[in-house]
Amino acid sequence: MHTRKAAALVTAVALVAAGCGSKGEHKASGGGDTLQIGASLSLTGSLAREGGLTKEGYELCRQAVNAKGGVPVGSKKLKLDIKYQDDTSKPDTAAQLVDQFNDKGVKLILGPYGSATTEAAAAVIERNGQVMADSSGADDKIFQKGYRRTFAALSPAHSYAASMVQAINEMAKPKPSTMAFLSADDGFSKTVAESGAEEARRLGFKVVATEYFPSGTSDVSSALTKVKPMKPDVIIGSVHVAEGIAIIKQARELGVRPAGGFAETVAPPTPDFAKSLGADAEGVLGSTQWTDTTTGKDKWIGSAKDYATAFKAAYGGRAPEYHGAEATAACLALVFAVEKAGSTDADKVRDALAGLNEPTFFGPLKFTAQGQNLTKKMQVVQIQKGRPVSVWPKDVAEAPMVWPGTGK
Amino acid sequence: MSQFLQATVYGLLQGGLLALIAVGFSLVWGVMNVINLAHGAFVLVGAYLTFELNQRFGLDPFAAIVPVGIALFAAGYLVQRGLINMVVKAPIFITLLLTFGLELVLVNGLVLLYSGDYRSVTTGYAGDGFTLLTGVRVPLGRLLAAAVALAITLVLVAVMRHTRTGLAILATGMDRGAARLMGIRARHVYALTFGIATAMAGTAGAAVSAVGTFSPADAGRFTLFSFVAAVLGGLGNMYGALIGGIVLGLVEAWGGQLLPGTLVNAVAFGVLVVVLAVRPQGIAGRAFYASRVEV
Repeated sequence: MHTRKAAALVTAVALVAAGCGSKGEHKASGGGDTLQIGASLSLTGSLAREGGLTKEGYELCRQAVNAKGGVPVGSKKLKLDIKYQDDTSKPDTAAQLVDQFNDKGVKLILGPYGSATTEAAAAVIERNGQVMADSSGADDKIFQKGYRRTFAALSPAHSYAASMVQAINEMAKPKPSTMAFLSADDGFSKTVAESGAEEARRLGFKVVATEYFPSGTSDVSSALTKVKPMKPDVIIGSVHVAEGIAIIKQARELGVRPAGGFAETVAPPTPDFAKSLGADAEGVLGSTQWTDTTTGKDKWIGSAKDYATAFKAAYGGRAPEYHGAEATAACLALVFAVEKAGSTDADKVRDALAGLNEPTFFGPLKFTAQGQNLTKKMQVVQIQKGRPVSVWPKDVAEAPMVWPGTGK
Repeated sequence: MSQFLQATVYGLLQGGLLALIAVGFSLVWGVMNVINLAHGAFVLVGAYLTFELNQRFGLDPFAAIVPVGIALFAAGYLVQRGLINMVVKAPIFITLLLTFGLELVLVNGLVLLYSGDYRSVTTGYAGDGFTLLTGVRVPLGRLLAAAVALAITLVLVAVMRHTRTGLAILATGMDRGAARLMGIRARHVYALTFGIATAMAGTAGAAVSAVGTFSPADAGRFTLFSFVAAVLGGLGNMYGALIGGIVLGLVEAWGGQLLPGTLVNAVAFGVLVVVLAVRPQGIAGRAFYASRVEV
């Protein structure tokens, strides 16, 4: 009887010890000749599509770095190894998974897809002393909480709609005078719409309405019905793909035709947009983190054109879009930081990230004290002949902006 | 005023589409006492089939209703005979679990086949429309979808009331034991009912593909709409889901005029709560169906 109790106690103690042991260990991050990185991604659930695109970007980074021998750290070259977990598009699951990575000793993390999941993960990262390279969480709120361990490779939310307003201000002739903002009501989209409207007022446009609809809806008819009598020259949507398509479809159904055109943040650059709208997509403006005309070069990928070639070769001839590129860029930020730090230690990598200033195929990677990338500029694209074409800023434009965008 | 009228017209049409999605769901619930959580997935299967037919053969989405309906009827009949019939007498949690599992399999199967991309079937006319005197715009695609919903419901009611098969379905729904004693083969009747319901889901999917966008993640949304419309309209009456869907569409359209964003859902569910408090059997439902005894 006594021995059995003792045995149970020993087992219990051993289990606890094993659990603790793995928690505090730093070595696992770079054990052996691999650089272990963790990524919690939306592989199923409502963001499965974008999560999948992000994974492709991470994988491309891994292949590119490993093809060149790996990340030089001291005298060694470490091969990248990225472990993926599925957060089913839920923020709390993403946070738990990042915690689990920490338990396994994985301190270097690549961000999940989207602002909500990134925000949840960032809190855990901070608490655990991990480091996260954020590839898609653009909401400015994530960076207003004083976190020091989350670094976003991409341009922040406040430039998504503002860049389109600036492009219209510079290039649209005849210049429109009124704008209406339609926005999904999640935190990210609201930030985008509010900062876009602010920029529009600053540049002298009259903002006649800002209407909100439920995030993820495919029915935006209420917002369109409200905006219709105000006859705005431009309708700017702060949307995801589904709502972006719905605005164009239902605007046609309801006979809402702005004299200038439509502009819709992230929807037009995705291939789904032009495919599912056909001719109605023509002339719609959008903003994007990246196109293959982006200037800049780095030693792992090369230029934006090289990235496009590599992407096509890896994914059956499909052209890359910004989801993949921003994921690759976030992964590169970690790679550069590890190399610069000469160590896989989380604190040293953090400090290296904070001081990073590297030109890449994605544009410059340089972070503010809050961890945002303000050096990189957003690009504005326009659907021309069924394809998103870069039209702003002028130095990277492939074609002039067609205005009015709805004119046929 | 014209803004309010526009919202009303659009809400009515939107409601017609919701009703089309919900009618089959309500039928299965009313007759078999099975809450089919896979209903939304069947709507999507219909939408993707329409998409395939359009891509490969250039078939118009509204013409695709016929082949899609037939294919989904066959699929529904087999799923009921081979799968759901095994648990049809089991407690409701078991049927919920089974249909939920079926939904997961279907939705993830669609993700594998088609990825999570948003899709839509483009037609030259669905976005067009005509303008009424007061400046109210009526979109053609949605008008067609609502007309299909109304026609299908009327045909269903006629079939139920005036054919032997329909009466057998109604009888089995009222009292399975007594129906079997009268020589009705409950297994076959249930499979027919489920087949009709999935065929209607497929039809709704075809209409959705023409007027909106869809991706595998929408399955849950369609099931939720069906559930609300079925409960709002009430079980045991073929018009229940039609009324429920139209009320839901109208409430959402009016709510959208008054409130911003997600609060619209609060209005829709608020109406549901009020209806259930005042009239627990739903707007057009019969109390009998909630309290029947299964033998």
